Amino acid sequence: MTFDKVLDARGLACPMPIVKARQEINQLQVGQVLKVLSTDRGSVKDFQGWAQTAKNIQLLAQETQTENGKEIYVHYIKRTS
Amino acid sequence: MTTAVKQATEWTAQELYERLYRGDLFFVLDVRNREEFSAWKLEGRAKLPTLNIPYFEILEEGGKDDVVESVVAYAQAKLVSQLPKDGTILVVCAKGGTSAFVAEGLRQLGYDAVNLAGGMKAWGDFYQIKPVVESQALSIYQVIRPARGCLSYIVASQGEAAVIDPLRHIEHYLNFAKEKNLRIKLVLDTHGHADHISGGRALADKVNAPYHFHPYDAIHPIDVLPAQLRFEFLRDGQEFSVGSATIKTIHIPGHTLGNVVYLVNEKYLMTGDSIFVESVARPDLGGRGEAWAPLHYRAFERLLKLPDSTVILPGHFSQPKEANGQGLFMATLGELKAKNEGLQMVQKGEQAFVQYMLSSLPTFPPQYVDIKRVNAGLLVPDEEKASELELGKNICALAQAYQ
Repeated sequence: MTFDKVLDARGLACPMPIVKARQEINQLQVGQVLKVLSTDRGSVKDFQGWAQTAKNIQLLAQETQTENGKEIYVHYIKRTS
Repeated sequence: MTTAVKQATEWTAQELYERLYRGDLFFVLDVRNREEFSAWKLEGRAKLPTLNIPYFEILEEGGKDDVVESVVAYAQAKLVSQLPKDGTILVVCAKGGTSAFVAEGLRQLGYDAVNLAGGMKAWGDFYQIKPVVESQALSIYQVIRPARGCLSYIVASQGEAAVIDPLRHIEHYLNFAKEKNLRIKLVLDTHGHADHISGGRALADKVNAPYHFHPYDAIHPIDVLPAQLRFEFLRDGQEFSVGSATIKTIHIPGHTLGNVVYLVNEKYLMTGDSIFVESVARPDLGGRGEAWAPLHYRAFERLLKLPDSTVILPGHFSQPKEANGQGLFMATLGELKAKNEGLQMVQKGEQAFVQYMLSSLPTFPPQYVDIKRVNAGLLVPDEEKASELELGKNICALAQAYQ
């Protein structure tokens, strides 16, 4: 998955991953992709819900990575308008 | 001159528990995502008016960079007609962080909004311990995990104690024993639980006591693999002494093949998953509902022969309104024969009861297979996984209780 910017939201509790992702997405050009790293397991469902609510983004993919035994939830969001 | 009374801005899980079980009415604004909300929500004795608006909708539609400002903008545009102007609004989310912002925003608009500290996670992990009877010769305490509808017991006599069906957060039992100066000498499970992770092995290790359950439940019913944890075999009729009290084991296969109940001093019956206050346990969580239902019938037939004065202390409840005035989930067998639909069906004979059970099965939560693996030592989850497996309310009773 290619991306244009990374938002490191590891260690941040809800609602900050989405608050910061909203701010970052608004800085991107239409068509560009933001990669978000989060340690909050709840972010998986919440990013899905946010992507359905917001009119200017598309959730391209989500994946789970393991780093030093800790799970990292990765979300790829594209600005669509 | 008036004295300013500072309004509380949050409730702890303990404060929430007291209000729910008093039957207080308040408004709930739940800002978790729709899936989490529909799987599990707050319930009290009174029916609580509840609104679910996922926080990301508030952020997106509120449209500001600042969270509280987004809440204010969203609430002014969309919530004015839906929120009560008088009375408390409790705002809840998964862990209590987001809901604190939402409550703050609502307070700025003049609402009496409070945050649930620690969110649904804290509520899910909240325990309450209440005495059923209390004397030097015999004390029984009901250990309640309200959010999950799980009940466990501490039986104490002359400074000794047994714990029956300990739940995962064993510190509650350890702290209570310390406070009451009790030595936990015995740990018992009624069966291999499907809905929650047993604290049995961990508690027994901590206090260096034997941990007993029936060997039939040491084989995972779906994997057909033997347990990978240490335990002592339990047999029908086996008796244990705790101080001057006696705990007798009665093996009643049906809910599981190794299902047992414990009769304390011939009077108090810890029924685990068999007789509940409003319902009876389902026979299908081992994946063999049709084969086990007739066994389950014979289990109830046997329990119904006990004296009507026997005090039933169940392993679960389905709704807070089942609690008595003291907040305890209990009743005599005689009372339940008159009002428990499942027990009334037992009295109609095997065929009718089996048919009734098999037509009243609620959904089979897929995580129950994994929870049984954990309880047999076949799977070792980390804290987050354990918490996720246990999320929500138990579904161990027949469906009638949920209507």
